Amino acid sequence: MNKKALNTALLVGAIFALPQTLYAASCCGGGSASSLVLPKFSNGMVDISIDRESYNGFWNKDGDYVEDPPDSELTQWRVNVGYAHRLSERWQVSATLPYVWNDSQYSGISSRTDGIGDAAVSVWYEAFDAIKCVWKVRRASDLIPAAYFGATVTLPTGISPYDDVENSFDVTGRGFYRLDANLLLDKTIYPWNGTLALSYGKYMERPVNQEYGKYVEPYDKKLGDRKLVTLSGGYSQFLENMDSLTYTLAYAYLKEEQGTLNGRSDPTTGIQKDSLSATIAYSTMDRNWIVKMSFNHTIKEDGYGENFPATDTITMGVSHVFR
Amino acid sequence: MSFVKIITILLVLGLAGCQDNLLPSDSDERPTVVTGILGNQVGQIAPDFTLESTLNTFHTLSSEYSTHDGVVLYFTMWCPVCDSHMSHMRSTYIANYPNVQFLIIDYVTGSVTNARSAQVSGGYSGLTVLADINQTAMNLYDGTMGTTIVIDSLGIVQMNQDYSDGSKLGQVLSALP
Repeated sequence: MNKKALNTALLVGAIFALPQTLYAASCCGGGSASSLVLPKFSNGMVDISIDRESYNGFWNKDGDYVEDPPDSELTQWRVNVGYAHRLSERWQVSATLPYVWNDSQYSGISSRTDGIGDAAVSVWYEAFDAIKCVWKVRRASDLIPAAYFGATVTLPTGISPYDDVENSFDVTGRGFYRLDANLLLDKTIYPWNGTLALSYGKYMERPVNQEYGKYVEPYDKKLGDRKLVTLSGGYSQFLENMDSLTYTLAYAYLKEEQGTLNGRSDPTTGIQKDSLSATIAYSTMDRNWIVKMSFNHTIKEDGYGENFPATDTITMGVSHVFR
Repeated sequence: MSFVKIITILLVLGLAGCQDNLLPSDSDERPTVVTGILGNQVGQIAPDFTLESTLNTFHTLSSEYSTHDGVVLYFTMWCPVCDSHMSHMRSTYIANYPNVQFLIIDYVTGSVTNARSAQVSGGYSGLTVLADINQTAMNLYDGTMGTTIVIDSLGIVQMNQDYSDGSKLGQVLSALP
């Protein structure tokens, strides 16, 4: 078994890797939201996290869970660097860039590849002026959540199957531009917190003239529209020194419709995945430093995904907020 | 560090290594192929090989194409992409072309036993799977995940490319003599 074959295995993961980077924070700080969003009244934030995603089987097009071939062990590591910057009282922008390592052991043979992943640039509008976190609900307006409206452009900076790469399998990105419209609702009534994040993305069509290092008859390809829904709930525990620990459980639903080739629907594409995650975040009293650890889990049974690898991801991250 | 500097670094990193995706090309760069000689490109004479199937029978390519309307070789590593291709191929083409021999080439699992295990686990017990333990077929045909080869009954390669949406395979199969 040669290295080319081994690297191919990780291509699968890299193609579909949709890093759920662990970011801070909520509108009041402290760390609960699932997007790189600045807390109110802060000027900037740096976020660094490390993901370890292990692959364990996949769901086929019918939604049936299928085990990996015997003796396979596929792992992807990612270091995600993000920065958010406040432009005005209600506007902020952010950028993220992952670096990806693919690590595989297959029948006792090791293979490692690495490269930059797909970058993303976002702009967010905060539809509120005052912090929406309350300790007690005294009036109906206290129930109004913090609402963010955003747009994200994903740039194909990663190595895709359509790149001119030596072995064609060092894939770290999908190879397409994508524009997402985002809505994030975040409400904290101490010590409880809840968020709802909705995202709808459209890929841009692109020409393809090579696949996996082989030149092919040029054609136009487009991936299907992408929907992501994330619902989370959390509880904050304040320590004696007023630092806090926040425990969050989240459910995410991801669906990508069938893509097209030269305008025709491609029946072999389209993906879906359900996942659950648990996060614990430690925040200093001033909310300027947040350390997080998260475990993202997929249920490896029929019906919890389609045409998608089943993975578990452990993430550790740290954020620093600039006031 | 200012936000502008960070964005600039990101863009430089991206532009430095990823031009193919940021500015994808639509030009046809396929090399010129000399037909009629031994090779894996369309119009060339298909190199022969013999592999053991997961049911412990031996299949020689030249024997297969000379006794069928043609042979389809599909290279699998039992991944989600391969599964979607194989599922589509089974439902769309295999039943409709009974005189074409469809051979699934497992080039990753490394043994007949493991190939059979992956085959059964994936729900493809009914297909003919060849265990390419030494990557003989993979090297002869420059195969990788999803590579689909069609060889006609005269032993001439009629297709060698990724399965993609399967439409090219349909065109080639319908054009077989």
